[in-house]
Amino acid sequence: MGHQWGMAIDLDRCNGCEACVVACHAENNISTVGEDQAARSRVKHWIRVERYYEGEFPDVSVKFMPVFCQQCDAAPCEPVCPTFASYHTSEGLNGQVYNRCIGTRYCANACPYNARFFNFFNPVWEKPLNLQLNPDVSVREVGVMEKCTFCVQRIKAAEIQAAAEKRDLKDGELKPACVQSCPTRAMVFGDLSDPESEVSRLANSSRGTRLLGELGTRPKVTYLQRDSWHGSENA
Amino acid sequence: MAAKTPEQITDDLLRPLSGISGRYAVSAAFLAGVIVAALCAFFWQVYAGLGVSGLRWPVFWGFYITNFVFWIGLSHAGTLISAILRIANATWRRPVTRCAEVITVFALSIGATFPVIHLGRPWLAFWLFPYPSERGLWPNIRSPLLWDFFAINTYLMSSVTFLLLPMVPDLALIRDRATGWKKKIYGAVALGWTGTPKQWHRLETAMHIMAIAVIPVAVSVHSIVSWDFAMAPVPMWHSTIFAPYFVAGAIFSGIAALILAMALLRKLLRLEEYLLPIHFENLGKLLLVMSLLWFYFVFAERLTAWYGNETGEMAVFWVTQHGSYSPLFWAMVACNFLIPFPILAIKKLRTITGTAIASFTIVIGMWLERYLIIVPSLSHKYLTYSWGAYRPSWVEITITAGTFCAMGLLYMIFSKVVPIISIWELKAGLKERPQAAHAVAQPNEAGAD
Amino acid sequence: MERRDFLKISAVAGATAALEGCGNPDHQLIRFVPEEDMLPGVATWKPSICTLCPAGCGLLVRVMQGEAEVVRNGQLGLLKMGLAKKLEGNPAHPVNQGKLCPRGQAGLQVTYHPDRVKTPLARNGPRGSGQFREVSWDDAIKQLASQLSDLQGAKPDGTLALVTSPLRGQRKAIVNAFAASFKNAALVEFAFFDDGVIRAANAASFGHAMPPTVDLGQSNYVISFGADFLGTWNSPVAQSLAFGHMRKGRPGQRGKFVHFEPRISQTAASADEWIPVQPGAEGALALAIAHVIIAEKLRPAAAAGHAGSLIESWSQGLPDYAPEKVSAQVGVKPEKIARIAREAAAHDPAVAVIAGAATAHTNGLFSALAVNALNALLGSVGKPGGIVFAPGSPAAKDAGASLQTLISRISSGSSSVKSLLLYNANPLFAAPAAWGVRAALDKVPFIASFGSFIDDTSAQADLILPDHSPLESWLDDVPISGSAKTVVSVAPPAMNPLHDTRAMADVLLDAAHQVGGDLAKALPWKTYDEAIQAEFTALYKSQASRSAKDADEFWTNAKDQGGWWSAEESKAASIGVSGSGAAPKNAAPQFDGGTDQYPFHFLPFASQLLYDGSLAHLPWLQETPDPLSTAMWGSWVEINPATAAKLMIKQGDLVQVTSPHGSLEAPALITPGIAPDVIAMPVGQGHENFTRYATGRGANPISILSPALVEGTGSLAWASTRVKVQAVGRGKLILFGGSLSEASPELKHR
Ligand SMILES: Nc1nc2c(c(=O)[nH]1)N[C@H]1C(S)=C(S)[C@@H](COP(=O)(O)OP(=O)(O)OC[C@H]3O[C@@H](n4cnc5c(=O)[nH]c(N)nc54)[C@H](O)[C@@H]3O)O[C@H]1N2
Ligand SMILES: Nc1nc2c(c(=O)[nH]1)N[C@H]1C(S)=C(S)[C@@H](COP(=O)(O)OP(=O)(O)OC[C@H]3O[C@@H](n4cnc5c(=O)[nH]c(N)nc54)[C@H](O)[C@@H]3O)O[C@H]1N2
Ligand code: SF4
Ligand code: SF4
Ligand code: SF4
Ligand code: SF4
Ligand code: SF4
Ligand SMILES: [Mo]
Repeated sequence: MGHQWGMAIDLDRCNGCEACVVACHAENNISTVGEDQAARSRVKHWIRVERYYEGEFPDVSVKFMPVFCQQCDAAPCEPVCPTFASYHTSEGLNGQVYNRCIGTRYCANACPYNARFFNFFNPVWEKPLNLQLNPDVSVREVGVMEKCTFCVQRIKAAEIQAAAEKRDLKDGELKPACVQSCPTRAMVFGDLSDPESEVSRLANSSRGTRLLGELGTRPKVTYLQRDSWHGSENA
Repeated sequence: MAAKTPEQITDDLLRPLSGISGRYAVSAAFLAGVIVAALCAFFWQVYAGLGVSGLRWPVFWGFYITNFVFWIGLSHAGTLISAILRIANATWRRPVTRCAEVITVFALSIGATFPVIHLGRPWLAFWLFPYPSERGLWPNIRSPLLWDFFAINTYLMSSVTFLLLPMVPDLALIRDRATGWKKKIYGAVALGWTGTPKQWHRLETAMHIMAIAVIPVAVSVHSIVSWDFAMAPVPMWHSTIFAPYFVAGAIFSGIAALILAMALLRKLLRLEEYLLPIHFENLGKLLLVMSLLWFYFVFAERLTAWYGNETGEMAVFWVTQHGSYSPLFWAMVACNFLIPFPILAIKKLRTITGTAIASFTIVIGMWLERYLIIVPSLSHKYLTYSWGAYRPSWVEITITAGTFCAMGLLYMIFSKVVPIISIWELKAGLKERPQAAHAVAQPNEAGAD
Repeated sequence: MERRDFLKISAVAGATAALEGCGNPDHQLIRFVPEEDMLPGVATWKPSICTLCPAGCGLLVRVMQGEAEVVRNGQLGLLKMGLAKKLEGNPAHPVNQGKLCPRGQAGLQVTYHPDRVKTPLARNGPRGSGQFREVSWDDAIKQLASQLSDLQGAKPDGTLALVTSPLRGQRKAIVNAFAASFKNAALVEFAFFDDGVIRAANAASFGHAMPPTVDLGQSNYVISFGADFLGTWNSPVAQSLAFGHMRKGRPGQRGKFVHFEPRISQTAASADEWIPVQPGAEGALALAIAHVIIAEKLRPAAAAGHAGSLIESWSQGLPDYAPEKVSAQVGVKPEKIARIAREAAAHDPAVAVIAGAATAHTNGLFSALAVNALNALLGSVGKPGGIVFAPGSPAAKDAGASLQTLISRISSGSSSVKSLLLYNANPLFAAPAAWGVRAALDKVPFIASFGSFIDDTSAQADLILPDHSPLESWLDDVPISGSAKTVVSVAPPAMNPLHDTRAMADVLLDAAHQVGGDLAKALPWKTYDEAIQAEFTALYKSQASRSAKDADEFWTNAKDQGGWWSAEESKAASIGVSGSGAAPKNAAPQFDGGTDQYPFHFLPFASQLLYDGSLAHLPWLQETPDPLSTAMWGSWVEINPATAAKLMIKQGDLVQVTSPHGSLEAPALITPGIAPDVIAMPVGQGHENFTRYATGRGANPISILSPALVEGTGSLAWASTRVKVQAVGRGKLILFGGSLSEASPELKHR
């Protein structure tokens, strides 16, 4: 069908609220690891809101930047995977086949964004928290790698629905959980192969940048840089 | 040496094979104990999950991969060195080659276990093997891990052959002197060697071919190990210098390991008349060259990184130069260069003890080098928010200790079943044609002893 | 291997138990007949309401069939039932327009929490021992009714007290009517972050005793005095939506956002300019800005109308507030003040908001009135891009005061409270220890709690009558801000109850009818949903504009879309309106604790994830990194690097924070985003009792606060405490983020 899914994130809107982070946990059956494992950096936040301070008190400014799998078109995590568990899909996504992953963690090293997270132990949901699990998303066992999938289960569901209704997907009708929740509408998801889509438009914005694009990973996420105020003391 | 007759040589070198001293038994038991502990630690890790290690986001490789590179590196001692010496036909090599080749086989086997030990799901390690699965799934040949798989297997097989071939005449010798069940076993492994000129001829040809063939294999192995890193866009990994850097480091640590092993054997097996200062002197010179080469590579690598001044690389550069990893970094420089260089450069210090001390610090230094290649880079990739830190757990430490003990134990056992110095090659050193060796192999003369 | 695991997990996950490995205890479970015919794997979306904070956002709940282990009349079994799987914002809802904050996203875990109270419990052991025994609802309600009937009639022996979270809609109506039918019963609505000060100020300035709805989206210049409007204050999702629009929703037009606060809050982090201000000087600062605007004739003083007239010497142009005069007291350079005044005046519409610590100093009411006057001067009241008030303004409530008075009356014995009913309020956690809540509770013979969880306060209860989770319950709500439309939300249960629970409102109604008499008469409805329907019938009658053909259709539509909202927006609030109540003079803020002994201001702040602590029991929120500190699973104390250096405190050191009213310990977090004379700490952790995930975790800053109130209101002046700090060892600081700055070689050490 030739979709090329991509995202654009407007850092001038993002306010660091973390709604995307919790939404992703809720949608994708990401297990919480608890205090002790969190202290050992074993938390699995497929999306994280990076926070950077600039300057010294009192002239301090802060920048928020949500980072997650950039679905690179030249993904360093793919060639290194010995079992093809990390592979490129026809729709330009970086797929992750849990069943196939044997846990070398090579992909995670190769990922310049540290977007991949490892299951150091089997996941636990203390009953009845297990009832919160999303039946559309398989849970991951100990020893396998996981990461943002662009909510592929939602993509597939929407595509199947559209196919059943013999129509094309409308721009914006399909939203990953993080995009859906984002209270500032900082995140926009869509089809980069459709030049009319909002995400395509934003991808070509003058503020648009690719995170670590210089590494040649060809990420499919565009970051629109924080803007500044253009007014003056007297309008 | 000239003082020794072939008979004395035979007796001296076969002596270690007979009888087990109390000291031997105690140390063997100790080593075995640690190995068992390591096995328990590994099974605990398989049962509980890799989380019992110190690995974490974003440092997904630590002690295990360090050990992997370290042991594969050590394995370059034997085969490579003895091959080079054989081709160069350096006569002083004769007492050295076998204990060198043994190091290769054992270090390689130990190193090869780590890619499995470190897996998240080791029970699926077989998916790395290319075999026709019911799903028609083949491993990804683009992955350097696959290259490792092939390279290491090739190297292991050739090294084993390279070790076994020249053992045959000595095994035959033991067979001829042994009685009862021992005779049967040694007879079997002696492959019906009787020492006919034809056999000698074949053995020598085979050794020549192997000696030449094994060198590119050895070089390829550590090049590929280096590409496990160099192929990934990780700061201070993604570098063309890695392959030669790793190969040089491998030979460096290999020679050091060899010198250490020889020094120990010399003491423990009372081989003073066989492992002579000249051997340590010569290997010491070789080690000196490698130490300089190593320093040259580190300097070149660091200089280009620093001069290039690329943000991602500089973070790793500084954290090792004067950041939290600098104590380890400077310890490494001391162990690999500052300490060994004077010892090896000054003729007076290039004694057996001197070279042994230098070798000891180098083995430590080279382990640190591998650690410092892996951990600081992974903990300081491009996005500073995702920076982390790594500390090994008791599981990793136990397993690491276990592999060192395994090396020791294997070596001890080997030296009990096979003369650690090639008898026939020594004798061959006496006369040009190996007739003497041939003669000793005659039953009647053996009986006359 | 993992195939079986996958299926086992997905089976437990409500997929299928039939496929499971043998010998699994789940197999012995008996199967109940499905309660509803849902198609496996087919999702339905049901409207609901987020109750986790006062904003009242609308939800859509994704419901799918699954298998739940439930107890039905004493029998443990597997039941195929509709289960909530995901919460999303209701796109049709005017407040949040399909969006949710992180807390709202985590609401699902309230329903599935392993430590929910699953049946009514009666105390069985000494108070607070946490020993309870399960009782039937009949017995529980009988016990409640008998307690209540003693308090009924002409000569009740003792009085009734109810302490609830701030209520709205029919739950408020029922509770009010219930309380009213008891002789001098005390009804207290209590929350730590109450908006009493803002209500009082807005009542005085504009005649609306409610928080404003801020039209950020149309604004060109936003001045915030400590208002965390993007995180936790008022209607964060609505305000975040508007903020996004202000920044990038209007091509070629981008509003500026200036934030005054001694600390960089999540909201301050998004400001174009963050300016630290002296704690308690926000009012003076607002007036200094007003001074410049008036002095430079950018606006006439008279423009501020009644709101201005409340401020002393306003008409004279606030001579005492010339920037150079107040600069030192305020801690902001005069030029800066003047510049911002000119920018604001030059970029119409400009709006000012105040909340949080700025209103929680003893002079908080004055500061709020000053900001109201500034807004009026800027001409942003009742205008697009300014502030408006949602239609229908509830009466002002001095929540904190009545709790404090209730507590002191009980302790002093001047009020003979015999029965105390608790609902969604946790005073033992959320009130300063200095108020003496614990001692007071010990004096109350009978305490009943409607909580779904055993928390710090309900652990003291004699009877626990567990409420449904919001998703299992009928809900109605009347948001007081976030949209200028009239909004009345309603939601039928999104799923059947997992446990043997009942809605608080229904229990009150049951009890009332068992008691009979005036109490029964006061509560005409049989059930809560009946009460809600009655509300909508009334609404149908009162609303001119309506699509529905009759009340039933109106009701049905409302249930389907999650409520009813007017088409047009209210323009309520104009500077003309003369409010009530006199304004206090600019009293300098009073701080508890001498500067010599207690050198630092203590600034508690609402946690973006745990809010006021009522959400500390949700593992998703505990494990989500705080936006600025990136801390997880614990408390921290924010210290300026210079201060830390002076006190020889290192990142992660355990520090002891001591106020005149007590001390606590938490790990130090060294951050450039805080003034050197301020020590900040998030509210939320430090529960002595609140489920396996929150009990005994971190420290509670509220416990060491001064009991002082904001002058002229009954709200706690929670920013008026001074403290001293010292390192006492190594703390457990769990950070997700590595480096503070994007291009620094400094390291994270865990
Ligand atoms: N108890 C139980 N049994 C079932 C079912 C059930 O629900 N419960 N479901 C039935 C159904 S629907 C199906 S489709 C079958 C599936 O039955 P299987 O296909 O046997 O189960 P899987 O685990 O999906 O796949 C078999 C193995 O292939 C491995 N595998 C994955 N990638 C690779 C690879 O690259 N190379 C190799 N060699 N192996 C790989 C998986 O990890 C697994 O160990 O099971 C059937 N049996
Ligand atoms: N991680 C991971 N994911 C996988 C696989 C894997 O190996 N690993 N395998 C894939 C494969 S091959 C398959 S076949 C699928 C299987 O997985 P699915 O078919 O997606 O899920 P199941 O749990 O098998 O059952 C689906 C639904 O059927 C319902 N159900 C159970 N019994 C009945 C019944 O009698 N009537 C009706 N109407 N519904 C019933 C269950 O409650 C559940 O909601 O998973 C796929 N996904
Ligand atoms: S939800 Fe949106 S605004 Fe909030 S942190 Fe994520 S991207 Fe930023
Ligand atoms: S971001 Fe990382 S994980 Fe995602 S595709 Fe790129 S390299 Fe792979
Ligand atoms: S961890 Fe899994 S996905 Fe990543 S490289 Fe190894 S096998 Fe492939
Ligand atoms: S796209 Fe989906 S998986 Fe990726 S971060 Fe957003 S919610 Fe998570
Ligand atoms: S702001 Fe967040 S917590 Fe409050 S009601 Fe809305 S979604 Fe719920
Ligand atoms: Mo299947």
